[in-house]
Amino acid sequence: MADLDIAGVQEAIRRAAAVRSPLRIVGGATKDFYGEKLVGDVLDVRELAGIVDYEPTELVITARAGTPIDEIESAMGASGQMLAFEPPRFAPGGTLGGAIASGLSGPRRPYAGAARDLVLGVKIVDGTGRALSFGGRVMKNVAGFDVSRLMTGAMGTLGVITEVSLKCLPLPRTEATRLFAMSADESIRRVNEWGGQPLPLSATCFHQGQLAVRLSGAPSAVAAACAKMGGTAVEDTEGLWTSVRDQTHAFFAGAAAARAPLWRLSVGSTAPYTDLGGEQLIEWGGALRWLASTPRTDLARVRAWASSHGGHATLFRAADKPSDVFHPLPPTLAELHRRLKATFDPNGILNRNRMSTAF
Amino acid sequence: MNAPIDTSRRPAPEVLAAVLGELATRFGERAVVNASVREQHGHGEGLADAALPDVVVFPHTNEEVAAIVKICASVRVPVIAFGVGTSLEGHVAAIHGGVCVDLSQMNKVLEINAEDLDCRVQAGVSREQLNAELKGTGVFFPIDPGANATLGGMAATRASGTNAVRYGTMRENVLGLTVVTADGRIVRTGGRARKSSAGYDLTRLYVGSEGTLGIITEVGLRLYGVPEAVSAAVAQFPDLRSAVHTVIVAMQMGIPVARIELLDDVQMDACIRYSKLDGYEAKPTLFFEFHGTQAGVAEQAGQMQALVAEHGGGAFRWATAPEERTKLWKARHNAYYAGLALKPGSFGFATDACVPISRLADCVLETRADVDATGLVCPIVGHVGDGNFHLVVLFDPNDPAEREKAEGLARRVSSRAIAMGGTCTGEHGVGIHKLDALVAEHGEAVDLMRTIKRALDPLDIMNPGKTVPRQETGAH
Repeated sequence: MADLDIAGVQEAIRRAAAVRSPLRIVGGATKDFYGEKLVGDVLDVRELAGIVDYEPTELVITARAGTPIDEIESAMGASGQMLAFEPPRFAPGGTLGGAIASGLSGPRRPYAGAARDLVLGVKIVDGTGRALSFGGRVMKNVAGFDVSRLMTGAMGTLGVITEVSLKCLPLPRTEATRLFAMSADESIRRVNEWGGQPLPLSATCFHQGQLAVRLSGAPSAVAAACAKMGGTAVEDTEGLWTSVRDQTHAFFAGAAAARAPLWRLSVGSTAPYTDLGGEQLIEWGGALRWLASTPRTDLARVRAWASSHGGHATLFRAADKPSDVFHPLPPTLAELHRRLKATFDPNGILNRNRMSTAF
Repeated sequence: MNAPIDTSRRPAPEVLAAVLGELATRFGERAVVNASVREQHGHGEGLADAALPDVVVFPHTNEEVAAIVKICASVRVPVIAFGVGTSLEGHVAAIHGGVCVDLSQMNKVLEINAEDLDCRVQAGVSREQLNAELKGTGVFFPIDPGANATLGGMAATRASGTNAVRYGTMRENVLGLTVVTADGRIVRTGGRARKSSAGYDLTRLYVGSEGTLGIITEVGLRLYGVPEAVSAAVAQFPDLRSAVHTVIVAMQMGIPVARIELLDDVQMDACIRYSKLDGYEAKPTLFFEFHGTQAGVAEQAGQMQALVAEHGGGAFRWATAPEERTKLWKARHNAYYAGLALKPGSFGFATDACVPISRLADCVLETRADVDATGLVCPIVGHVGDGNFHLVVLFDPNDPAEREKAEGLARRVSSRAIAMGGTCTGEHGVGIHKLDALVAEHGEAVDLMRTIKRALDPLDIMNPGKTVPRQETGAH
């Protein structure tokens, strides 16, 4: 059955490649807002679904790309395991393939690994219709180029992901969240200080003078860390972090209600707090800054600020998007991108223009 | 296991003479044609695959590396990056001659940002040098392949080591790179931000590309806070099976052990002799190390002790003082040399199977039985916490029959791992030795790897003949 489905994907790609007609790869369509343009005929991969292999004792799960993230998480949760990168659910129905293709990770990312760190192997169909397999189900594999990581975050522009193997981590035995009232500057200083100490941090979020810090692990370690760090307890730990992960938190809801373009700034974690002309929510120990922009936000300044702090700025959500939502690449890097794109998808049919107007 | 060396691809004498002239003009005494220097750069560790480069150049800057590559690209001469020559699969052998770029003089630590938990180093900085410079800053870099390799070499081979269970490998710990491309341009991938690249994750593509896509000249690395408490322990077991099962259960329970290493009876015997480990028996042994808070370490160690006892292992022998721990891990890191000393005059090479945790016991035990049937002396040692183990295959280089037996055993270890859903190489890489196994493992996907190689190195001058076989698999 699975082979038939993959054969169907191969057939659709071969047909499109023959006439260079673009295909738009769609799973749960929960991240259509993300990226540049949506171009081409829909290639719905949701039927490539189902967990192929999950033996909790192996610490690896293999599932087809169309499998809903919720299904994977409940299977893993029942065995005391989790997807440690906490893939965001921006709407119901998100799939594993979409989570990996977008490469987006949630609050636990700096402490437990990004999507790409947990991907052990992928199967894809490339832009010429070849079904290929990279990596595998083992924790370490240095056999050849690391194509499975290259596929993670490539936004479907290098191949249709059909199957993914991921490393499973045990669910923390306990979690607690502490809340601190402090300034943005102070919160950045403190989370970086704590980050260098043997504390079981698993998420941070600063918003409007409040810093929330999640601790995860063995009960004794979490209790000791709570005592050491102080702060006050947050009752609904899960609710808070789910709202940050899925962008239902008041900050994101407010930005959406105001139709304020939302920027995602990935920077060095100690970059000082800077007023960029809009409200900010700061995650990942300071390394991820969300900016709800206002008319006084200067977009060129946002990009320049992110670059000067070792990172980049993405226009994450906006009603009207310009053509460069992703941070422009220096010319040499842009050329390497074009060459890789041509390697995987010589006819330029897969998610054309989703990542760059150049391809 | 050695690919035949195709001498027809060596540069023509007049081309070479022109390149040597240009390099001599630009680099003076830092372009060396002396035979003993070339000899030293013609091989890594492991089997002697000596294939000498025509010249060895010692650049100091990114721009100098770029200049070398441009000179070579203009006349299509191979360029082989070299750190300290500790790779194991023939990665640095100049099988088609050409220019060896020795990065060992690019050995400056460029930035240490202890607060941000990151640093940036030139490619020639060794892991021990970095940790020496980090002393007193409260942070450290955990990846520790046996040899004191350079960080550029470790990035290029996607190295790991004994700490991988807790801290990951080079794959997870390289934040960004400076790379000289095959046409001699300098690019910077990633940055200091955690999810640093806009666009494709080129950092991850260059990490582990074994110098075949470009030369890594600078490496941005993630650092870790020095744990508040560190404790090491040794447990010995009546048989191999119970030692391996202890590891499997520990991993499945998610006990966050920093290091967990298996040495079989033969390896333990070798280490006792070579590293003068007193008071141990030549029995299957696990080395553990726990990192964390005082309370955390005590808790992990308690869980582990209980598991060891359940599996019939002996009492923990602790090494808590830093000098005792150093002695223990030094003995582990010297396991390969200890193995060689078991059979003086022999050659040795290491196999590198990595399998899913649930197949680890089958794979190790079948391999042990296979070794016993061959009559060869092959200690087993491994970072078993991630499913990876090595056989050190010893053989008499003057006995062709024994060499054939050794190579047959190595091939079977690779195929066994692949058949169990694993890989022929968990950490040593492909180089020239595992090209066939790569095809067996990845099939048609190797064709796509080859097109990536062509796209980024169209002239095939970057460490040619390594990592990806030149021939099509013919799978379609």
